[in-house]
Amino acid sequence: MEFAIGIYLALASALFGIGAIGFLLRRNALIQLMSIELMLNAVNVLLVAFNRVHPENMAGQVFAFFVIAIAAAEAAVGLAIVISLFRLKQTVETDSADELRY
Amino acid sequence: MSTANTVLLVVSALLALGGAVGTIAAARPLRAALALLVNIVALAGVFLSLHAQFLAMVQLIVYAGAVVVLFVFVIMMVGATGKVPRSPRGLATKTVSLVVMSVVSLVLVFGVAYVSMPAAHLPHGYGTVEGLGAVLFTQAAVPFELVSITLLVAVVGALAVARGRTPKEAAEARARRAAEGLEADARLAEERRISAEVSAHGGH
Amino acid sequence: MSELLYERALIWIILLPLFGAILNGLFGRFANKDIVSALGVGSVAASFGLALICFAHLMTGMGASEQGTQIAVTAYQWFHISLPTVGGVHEVAIDVRFLMDALSGLMTLVVTGVGLVIHIYSLGYMKDDPGYARFFAYLNLFLASMLILVLGSNLPVMFVGWEGVGLCSYLLIGFWYQTPEFAAAGKKAFIANRIGDFGVLIGMFILVSAVGSFEFADINHAAPALTQPFFLGSWQLGTLATAAALFLFLGCTGKSAQIPLYVWLPDAMAGPTPVSALIHAATMVTAGVYLTCRLSPVFLESPTAMAVIAVIGSMTALVAASIAVAQNEMKKILAYSTVSQLGFMFAAVGVGAFSAGFFHVFTHAFFKACLFLAAGSVMHAVGSHSDADIFKLGGLRKIMPRTHAAFLLASLSIAGVPLFAGFFSKDEILLGAAELAYAPEPFSANWVGWFVLIVLGIAATLTAFYMFRMYFLAFWGDYRSAEGGPEAHDSDGHHAYDPNPHESPGSMTWPLLILGSGALVVGWLGLPHEWGLPNWWAGWMSHSIASVPVVEAAEGAEAGISLPFVTSMVFGLTAVTVGIGAAFKLYFNRSDDRFRDAMPRGLYQLMADKWRVDELYQRVLLRPLAALAAFVGWIDQTFVDMLLTRIPSQLALLSGFVATRIQNGRVYTYGAVMSVGLALVTWYFVVPRPLLDAETEGATASFEAAAGMGYAYRWDFDSDGTWDAPLQEHGESFGADRSPSHEYGPEALKSHVLLIAQEDGDDARFVLTDEPQPLPESLLPAGWMEDPSVGATPPSAFFDGERVILRRNSAVVATTGALVTEELIPLSMGERLLLGRLDTNRTSIRVGGLVEATVEVENSFGNRARQSVELVVNVPPERPEADAQASLTTTRDEVLR
Repeated sequence: MEFAIGIYLALASALFGIGAIGFLLRRNALIQLMSIELMLNAVNVLLVAFNRVHPENMAGQVFAFFVIAIAAAEAAVGLAIVISLFRLKQTVETDSADELRY
Repeated sequence: MSTANTVLLVVSALLALGGAVGTIAAARPLRAALALLVNIVALAGVFLSLHAQFLAMVQLIVYAGAVVVLFVFVIMMVGATGKVPRSPRGLATKTVSLVVMSVVSLVLVFGVAYVSMPAAHLPHGYGTVEGLGAVLFTQAAVPFELVSITLLVAVVGALAVARGRTPKEAAEARARRAAEGLEADARLAEERRISAEVSAHGGH
Repeated sequence: MSELLYERALIWIILLPLFGAILNGLFGRFANKDIVSALGVGSVAASFGLALICFAHLMTGMGASEQGTQIAVTAYQWFHISLPTVGGVHEVAIDVRFLMDALSGLMTLVVTGVGLVIHIYSLGYMKDDPGYARFFAYLNLFLASMLILVLGSNLPVMFVGWEGVGLCSYLLIGFWYQTPEFAAAGKKAFIANRIGDFGVLIGMFILVSAVGSFEFADINHAAPALTQPFFLGSWQLGTLATAAALFLFLGCTGKSAQIPLYVWLPDAMAGPTPVSALIHAATMVTAGVYLTCRLSPVFLESPTAMAVIAVIGSMTALVAASIAVAQNEMKKILAYSTVSQLGFMFAAVGVGAFSAGFFHVFTHAFFKACLFLAAGSVMHAVGSHSDADIFKLGGLRKIMPRTHAAFLLASLSIAGVPLFAGFFSKDEILLGAAELAYAPEPFSANWVGWFVLIVLGIAATLTAFYMFRMYFLAFWGDYRSAEGGPEAHDSDGHHAYDPNPHESPGSMTWPLLILGSGALVVGWLGLPHEWGLPNWWAGWMSHSIASVPVVEAAEGAEAGISLPFVTSMVFGLTAVTVGIGAAFKLYFNRSDDRFRDAMPRGLYQLMADKWRVDELYQRVLLRPLAALAAFVGWIDQTFVDMLLTRIPSQLALLSGFVATRIQNGRVYTYGAVMSVGLALVTWYFVVPRPLLDAETEGATASFEAAAGMGYAYRWDFDSDGTWDAPLQEHGESFGADRSPSHEYGPEALKSHVLLIAQEDGDDARFVLTDEPQPLPESLLPAGWMEDPSVGATPPSAFFDGERVILRRNSAVVATTGALVTEELIPLSMGERLLLGRLDTNRTSIRVGGLVEATVEVENSFGNRARQSVELVVNVPPERPEADAQASLTTTRDEVLR
C-alpha cells in the first residue's frame, strides 16, 4: 500500500515558504519571531511525516520533540532580545537596530 | 488511509495554511499571535493524522500553552508601540525576496506533492506516550539531558538579556568606559613617544 | 677510570656551562641572586674540575704513543652532505664530535680556569647590576660556545662554537644596551666578525671539496697533497692550500682583531670589564690563533700565506702598540695592547713558530685578564662605570695594595721582564723569527724573519713603555682626583671620580692575585731549552701542532747558545730595558704627559686618533655603502612599495568600500541575499545536469555524465531514438551507470567527416555528403597549389557510398614519403594524407565516422534532462580485414606508380 507522503511534504514546503516570506517582509520583530516558529513547525511536519514511512525507532518523532524544546528555548531568548531592543529603542522595529552597518 | 483520517488531514492542513498566512499578514502583533495559535492547533491535528498522538499533545502544551502565551505577554508589555507602521523602505529588496521565495516554495510544493512511498507497518505503541517515552529515556537519554541543560541555559540567558541594568550598574559601566578611554589615550601617547625616540636614534 | 668515563666527562665539560646558561637565562630573573651565582659559578667550577681530570689523564698518557693520547667522543651523528667527486658522489659525515689533545686540552684549561676566576670576580663586580642573571647566562653561554669551538673535532662543530662566541660577544658588548654607543659597539663587533666568518666558511668549503672530510685530523693528514692550483673564475689564486689558508686567516683577522678588521676590539670594551677580560683578552680573540695552530699543516703548505700572516701580524702588533702609547684610558690602552699582543701571536704563527704563538696565547690569557680585572677594580674603586683616565688617577699604590700588586706582576709579565711568563713566550716568538731570519738556503723567506724580528722588537719596546706609562701614572704619585687635587672636578664642576677611593672587595681582589701569580709562573712551563732547561710546552705541543722544518732543525740541535738565540735575546732584553726605562724617566712620580710634549704634535695627535683608521673606513667603505643603501631604499620605497603595497592596499580599500555598501544593517537585505542563495541551491538540486563528456579511441568511446544526488541515467549511444540501456531505479545505481563505454560498428555512423589537422588546437571537422564539396580555403595550408599559375580550385571530397573520395584539383598531396599524382584519391578510415607544398608546413587530412550519443538524467524530483554529443570514431569498414588491406594496397600501388 502506498502512503501519499507528498501532501505532507507540500504542506511543509508551503508553511516553510510562508514563514520565510513573513520573516523577510515584516519589520516587526515579534512577527518575525513568529515566522521563525512557523518554519520550525514546517520542519517538524517533515520529520513526523517521514517517520510514518520509516517508523523504526521513532527517530523522527524524537527529533521533532527536541526541535519543539529548542524552539521553546529560542522563543524565550528571542523574546528577551526583543524586550532589550524595546528598552533601548522604544520600538520593536528591526530596522531601528542597524548599529552594525558600515 | 481512512476517510476520517483524510478529513482530519485536509481540514488541519487548510487551517494550518490559513493560520500561517494570518500570522504573517496581520497588521497587529496580537492578531498574528492568535493566527499562530490557530496554525499550531491545526498542526497538532496534522500530527494526529500521522499517528503521533504524544507529539500532538506536546505541540499543544509547549507551543499553544507556553510559546504563544509568552508572545502575548511580550506584546502586552510592548503595548501600542508594538505595532510597526508600514513603510516603503527597502521595497526593491523585499520584492526580490517575495518573488524568489514564492517561486522556490511553489517549485518545492509542486515538486514533491505527488510523491508517494510504500506505507510501512507501524510498530506497537507508535506515537504513544509509552512508545516515545521508552525511546526518549533509553536510546535518546543523553540528547534529552542535553536539551534540558540547553533549556536551563536559555532561561538564564533570557533573564540576563531581558533584565536590563540597575541605575548603580549603569553608573559603574559609565565610569569604566571613561577610565578605559583615558588608558587608551595614555597608551597612544606612550607609543608615539617610543616611535619618536626610535626614529631619533635611527638618525645616527 | 675507564676511557668511557673520560669521554662522558668531555661532553659534560661543555654541557655544564650550557645548562647553567639555559637555567639562568630562562629562570634567572625570577630566582634569588644567590641561586643565580651558585648556578653560574658552580657550573663553571665543575666544568673546570672535569677539564683538570681529563687533562691529567692526557698528561699521564703523553708520550705513550707517537700521536700522544687524546680523548675523542662522537656525541651524535649530525647530518651528511653529498660531495660530487670524479667517481660519483662522496658522502661526507658531519658528526658532533669532540676531541681533547694537548692543544685543545690546554685551551680548555685556560677557558674554564680563567673563566672560573672571572666568574668569581663578576660576583663582586656585577653585584648591583639589574641584569645580574642575564649577565651570568650570557657568560656561561659564552663558555659553552668557546668550549665547543676548542673541543670540536671538525670544522663544522668548531664553526658552531665560532659563531656562538661571536653571538655572546655581541650580547655582552651591548650588555648595557640602553646606552646607544654600547649597542653600536656590539653591532660593530658583530659585523666585523661576520666579514671574517665569511672567510672561514669559504676556507671550510675549499678544504672539504679538496679533502673530502671536515675532520681536522683528515685535513691535516691530507695537507701535503693540497698543491693543485686554485682558480677563482679564471684567476689563479695560488695553490689550494694558499687559498684555504688565506680565507681561514680572513676569519682570524675578524675574530682575533688583526689588520684590517681589528677596529671592533677597542670599541668592544664598552661591555662590562669581566667581559673584556674573558672574551676580548683571554679567550675568544685567541680563537684565530687556535684555529691556525689546529690546521698548522695546511698553513705550512703555503709559504705565501705564512708570509702574509707574519707581515700582517707584526704590523698589527706595531700599529696597535703605537696607538696604545697615546691613549689615556686604562681600558683603551689595554684594548690596543690586546690587539698588539694578538699581532705577536700571529707573527709567531707566520714564521712557523706555532708552539710559541700558542704559548703566548696561554701566558697572555693570564696577564691580560689580570690587567683588565685590575682596571675594573680601579674603576670600581673610583666609582666609574666606563672609563678610568690615568691622568686623573695616581697614588693608587697605597690605596689599593692588592690590586697594585696584581697589576705590577701582570705589567712586568707583559713587558717581558725576565723570569715572568711574558718574557718566555715573547722570547720564543722572537726566537722563531730569528731562526727564520738565519735559516739556511732551502728556506728562502729570510726577509720575513728579519722584518718580523725588527717590527716586533719595536712593538715590544712600545709595549713595555705604554704599560709602565700606565702603571706609573695610575699607581704612583698622588691621587689627583682627591678633594683638592688638580683633577678633582671636571669642566662641569662635578666629581669625575670618587674623591675617596677604596680597595675592592675580596671576591674581586683574590681573582686578581690568582691571575697575577699565574702571570709570573705559567711561563715556566716553556723554559727555553737553549739554557738546558726542560721545555714541557714544546713537548706537549709536538703531538698536536706541525712544526716548520726550520724549527724542527733547531730543536733537534744540541742545547746551547746559537746565533738566533742570542739575536732574539738581544732584541727582547733591549726592548724591555728601553721601554721601561723611558717610561720611568718620563712618568715616574709625575702627572703631566711629557711624552706628548716631546713628540711632534701632528704625529702624536694621529696616534691618539688611532691613525684615523675608523674615519678612513667610514669614508672609503661605509659612506659609499650607505649611499648605495639609500639609493636602493629609495627604489624600494618608490617603485617596489608602489607596486606591492600602495596599489594593492588601495585596491583592498576600494573593494572594502564596495563590500561595505552591502552591510546596511537592515534585516531584509540580508534576508534577500539569503533567499537568492536558497533559490540557487534549490535550482541546483531540482534541475538535473548531464554535463556529458566523451573520449574516443578507435571505435570505442568512453562517456562520462555528471554525478548528482539521486541521479539516474539512460543512454542512447547512436541517437536512434531507442534507449540502449534502461533508466536505473533511484537509489539502486547511485552514479554507477554514469560512465559507460561503447564500441561502435559501421551501422552507427551518421556520416563521414574529414579531419583536417590544424597548426595548433583541435582538428577541424568537415562533414561530407554524397556530392563533392570543396574544402574551405581557411582550412587549407598556405601553398597548397601545385602550380600557382593554374587557377586555384580547392580540393573537394565526397562519400560515394563506400569510400571517401578526395578530388585533388592540382593541390599537392602526399602519403607518408611519396607524392600522390592521382586526381581522385580514395581514402579509408584511419588513413592519413598530407596536403600542401613539401617545403612549407603541411596539413594532414584523415577520415573519420561521425556518431551521436545521447544521455538522459533523472533526479529525485523526477525532472529529466537530455544531452547529446557528436563524436568522431575510427570504425574499420565492414569488409573482411584481408579485403580491406588489399584495397588499400592497390590504392597505394596506383599512387606510387
